[in-house]
Amino acid sequence: MLSTILWLPLAVGLVGFMLPKRLVGAWALLGSVGSLVLAIALVAGFDGASGALQESVSDSWIPDLGVRYELGVDGLSVFMVLLTSILWTASILWSAFAHPDRARNYFFMLAVGQTAALGAFMAQDLLLFVLFFDLMLIPFYFLIGGWGTGDRIRATIKMIVFTLVGSLLMLVAAIATAVLSSDAAGGLTFSLEALRQVPLEDGSQYWIFCFFALAFLVKMPAFLVHGWMPDAYRAAPLPVLVLLSGVLSKVGAYGFLRVVIPLFPDASIHFQELMMIIAVASIVYGSIMAFTQTNVRLIAGYSSVAQLGFITLGIFSLRPDGGDGAVIQMFNHGLVVAAVLFVIAILYERSETEDIREMGGLAQRAPVLAILFVIVTMATLAIPGSANFVGEFFILTGAFESKVALALIASVGIALAAFYALRMYQRTMHNRLPAGMVSREITLREGAVLVPLVGCIVALAFYPGLITTRGEVSVERSLASLEEPETVAQR
Amino acid sequence: MSATTFGWLILAFPLVGAIVIGLGFRVLPGRSAGAIGTASIGAAFVCSVGALIGLLDHPVEERQLADTLYDYAGAAGIPFELGILVDPLSIFMALVVTGVSTMIHLYSFAYMGGDAGYRRFFAYLNFFVFSMLLLVLAGNYALLIVGWAFVGYASYALISFWYRRDTATRAGMKAFVINVVGDIGLVFAAILLIQQLGATEYLAVFEAAPEAFETNEWTIVAICLLLLVGAFAKSAQIPFHTWLPDAMEGPTPVSALIHAATMVTAGVYLIARSFPLFELAPTAADIGAFVGLATLIIAATIALVVTDLKRIIAYSTMSQIGYMVVGVSIGAYSAGLFHLMTHAFFKALLFMAAGSIIAAMAANQNIDRMGGFRKALPWTCGLLIIGALALSGFPGTSGFFSKDEILAFAAERGGMYWIFAIGGYLAAILTAFYSFRIVFRVVYGEPCKEAKELEGGHLAHAEPENPATGEPEDTDVGFPGPDHWIAERAFPMKAAMTVLGVGALFAGFVQVPGVTEVITHFLEGTFEDSTVENSVEVSEKVAYIGLLVGGLCAFLGIGAAFYLYIVAPGSTLRLRDRAHGVHDFLFHKWYFDELLDALVYRPAIALGRFANDTVERVVVQGIVRGASGGVGGLSATVRTAQSGFVRFYALLVVAGLAGLGAYFLIVSG
Amino acid sequence: MDLTWYLVLSALLFSIGAGGVLVRRSPLVILLCLEIMLNSANLALIAFSRSLGDADGQIFALIVMVVAACEVVVGLGLIVAMYRRRLPLDVDESRGLRG
Repeated sequence: MLSTILWLPLAVGLVGFMLPKRLVGAWALLGSVGSLVLAIALVAGFDGASGALQESVSDSWIPDLGVRYELGVDGLSVFMVLLTSILWTASILWSAFAHPDRARNYFFMLAVGQTAALGAFMAQDLLLFVLFFDLMLIPFYFLIGGWGTGDRIRATIKMIVFTLVGSLLMLVAAIATAVLSSDAAGGLTFSLEALRQVPLEDGSQYWIFCFFALAFLVKMPAFLVHGWMPDAYRAAPLPVLVLLSGVLSKVGAYGFLRVVIPLFPDASIHFQELMMIIAVASIVYGSIMAFTQTNVRLIAGYSSVAQLGFITLGIFSLRPDGGDGAVIQMFNHGLVVAAVLFVIAILYERSETEDIREMGGLAQRAPVLAILFVIVTMATLAIPGSANFVGEFFILTGAFESKVALALIASVGIALAAFYALRMYQRTMHNRLPAGMVSREITLREGAVLVPLVGCIVALAFYPGLITTRGEVSVERSLASLEEPETVAQR
Repeated sequence: MSATTFGWLILAFPLVGAIVIGLGFRVLPGRSAGAIGTASIGAAFVCSVGALIGLLDHPVEERQLADTLYDYAGAAGIPFELGILVDPLSIFMALVVTGVSTMIHLYSFAYMGGDAGYRRFFAYLNFFVFSMLLLVLAGNYALLIVGWAFVGYASYALISFWYRRDTATRAGMKAFVINVVGDIGLVFAAILLIQQLGATEYLAVFEAAPEAFETNEWTIVAICLLLLVGAFAKSAQIPFHTWLPDAMEGPTPVSALIHAATMVTAGVYLIARSFPLFELAPTAADIGAFVGLATLIIAATIALVVTDLKRIIAYSTMSQIGYMVVGVSIGAYSAGLFHLMTHAFFKALLFMAAGSIIAAMAANQNIDRMGGFRKALPWTCGLLIIGALALSGFPGTSGFFSKDEILAFAAERGGMYWIFAIGGYLAAILTAFYSFRIVFRVVYGEPCKEAKELEGGHLAHAEPENPATGEPEDTDVGFPGPDHWIAERAFPMKAAMTVLGVGALFAGFVQVPGVTEVITHFLEGTFEDSTVENSVEVSEKVAYIGLLVGGLCAFLGIGAAFYLYIVAPGSTLRLRDRAHGVHDFLFHKWYFDELLDALVYRPAIALGRFANDTVERVVVQGIVRGASGGVGGLSATVRTAQSGFVRFYALLVVAGLAGLGAYFLIVSG
Repeated sequence: MDLTWYLVLSALLFSIGAGGVLVRRSPLVILLCLEIMLNSANLALIAFSRSLGDADGQIFALIVMVVAACEVVVGLGLIVAMYRRRLPLDVDESRGLRG
């Protein structure tokens, strides 16, 4: 079943080349809905109690290099697969209504992107993971460069070069991992399961950890390596930005949980404080920048930096509660940032501007839009009662148990989040309506995308236990490598 | 039906009301939204009574009933259940909240008529009551935080209800952000509880706490201080109080409900609920009491000089909550909660009367422009006087008994706690003074222009203007409503105010010292394990002397106001000119807003600018440029080999061949 | 005759051809020099073939001639196309594929 989920989008995209232009959008939508149905079936059939990989697929691929075609899902990734399907469906639905030019190319690129993201989440072989990780970037290069606005070429190149530097280092590190472990593992292998049984000695772990960490931090993005974010967020077409912000950033966080912590436990412990400091710096810096911005996209962008900082904080608390919080927060943030960006698109259609200094009063004849936006805003600032709060609460508990001071500093981010999220809402929806601007209620096609997303957010708020209970066993398995310091020290 | 079933129903009715009004906002005709809203809260009140009866069926020791709906998000060692606790304290709060809310809904049914946002108002109001009930009925700290935050959101929505006004949206933002700061305090308190005790459920925590903590151990003190941060933010105590006066931007029923009877009392409820923790950390409890004392005095002094009618009443609320905080912090739980109940009655009544007067004044709120409404608004003025009497603690009113019970407890507890009794009585004089400042200004004296018009049967109208800034309102969508409703002309308003007036006058008789002790007996179910409350037995002598002193303070205050405003009008102006330094200090609210601006707001903006200019531009983009520059430089170096000259390529081929050949020659030779 | 003489001749021809390719600017002359180089290789192959008594060298030389013919066709085609478009027949001028 995993192989079907993985390759279905690509197949749909390829077939789309043969269809007439007006049908491509509908066909892509059909394919993504099919993918979504499969993902829901996967989640429904998921056994929450067991921490082991489920639905695994294992075939030989490049035997001479020890690379296998291995897929599998557990509590960490099953909801990421679902998130990918949900967001890609929403994005394709929005794009189908928007009728982009060169539609076949556009939807094919989206399809490749979906396959790559799904592959990154499902891969259980290190080289396969690196392959899909790098593959994710290519369709976005074309999508932003070819269909973006403003200074898109420069923005794309900045993003690609920057991300690829990290990815290159990650490739080197991955190969080094396999090569250095080949003696202990009895032959060259890239399988994650096998590699985690034979941890490397400390020195190698440290530099390999740094390379992997750099690649993932650039992807998220984290503080100091987020320079590509403002330009990319300004230039990307909105449905593409939804995917960039909602899914791609999560692959970085997921990579830490899936690859880095199980395979390099000593390095993780050694660098824990540094990573937590980077995380808290992202939270504080992202929040401060978010409340000074006037471009709504950048408010969303810096807010994402802060939120991914929280997720990193949870992961590097190296505790089950922090990790579990990170797992649910990855899902939450993906949903919520997608909803925020779609709302921004809806506002843009009414106000023709993305500068909040020029907007205002758009709630006037749009009560439904206002309520949807309020729910999304409250979810962004993680109001208690939302699933985002559960994630943040778990993360803060984990962080508090590890390093009290950092948890306290991180809480500043919560207060700032309330301020910037509400500021964005107020400056666009409340106060006076500027001259020449007309406020309209949400249309059917806008609602078709936004309402299901908000529905998911609200539904999850009623039962976040859905994710936390399924995630905790897998998180504990992921952290299990940390609990054997004696055996590793012997090396 | 069992008490816990009633408990769930108490929560269900307001939520259903909010959803029905919200979903049906396009189709609900006329004022039906108001009817639905009022009915749902009324139903919740009936269920509260049902829960009360159900609770009384149990013996006193077994009146704490917990019930869980489902496990909300518990995992990885963190408990998080959707569970309520039905016990005397929560039912007491539920009765007060639903009872007063029903009256306020009835009042709003008429008062908000004609406002274009009528339906939105009732949806928000119902949601607010739901949130408040969730807060008081929650059975664990995690769900309390959820209710706490929902109340914060609902109050934001209602304060910035007339969202066309910049002042309203800014006030809403201020209230919300300060509330979030309080939330953070509560979150960390909960995290500490999980870390130390592994539980957030009230009954589990209170049972485990005495064994796990020693008295005044720093962990329990930290937990209690964090709870206090939350409580102070919500109850507008110093230094988290700056949002309350600004919150008067909301419609008057909002002020009555949120800022008199319900939301601001949440902090008092929290301290009372967590009493086992506070009794283990007396340092924190004392800090709480001192903050309450400071607030009650400072707020009373500010209320002496501000001129906006609603803001006077707002500062009065802050001051009275200070009394309640003092009460529950020093261990006088039933006394503090009794004052909560009586305060709800007379403060809501005062706000309602203020609403009627402001309507008569065509939305002008400045008491310097009001005067002589006694003939034009007889009902309103009568009820205003009743409310003011209760607030001042006039003998026989409910405020008289409730306020003095707290102060008598403080006096009885003795030692350091005398300071609370003395401070409380001094502030009582101030309270009586400013209450009757309102009365004498508004009710007596020469009738102002609007009053004269009203006596002639015509309700004054004016171009709608923002009372704070004077800028003309944007009435394209009709709000604030062009219609003004005064109590004399609207039966629902009169009915609601009358009920509250009766409560303000006579509710005190349920707790006359030495005669009736209804509330203390009822609350025993919750507080029976309290070491502090049970150790202090207020002797009848102390109680009666306290009542005497309280009555004296009321007379002193009323007498002073009478002299300054009726006997010698204009003397206040002369006082102001002579002591204008003091007057300015008080008028600027002790400069707290300016302090917060300098300490918090300006540094944050400066930090943001620094982040934008320096860090972002120099450091971050520098890194990006460095990376891409490095790659570009590397590729530029390599690119020199691609010169485009065919002969150069040929030379490279030949040179390479020659090199290879030389290599093989050397190797083999 | 001694094998060495043939090899020396082949090397000489090769160097003359290489020098021509590196020094001359006209594409036609460069093609001619390339032919000289190819033929010098052919000479060496045949010399070795005769010397070792193995026919492989001669067959290889035939293949080289085929490849040379094809390459000359392509090269002359390029030169004619350049001439037709009035581009200067100068190898240094045509550096559009510069990196």
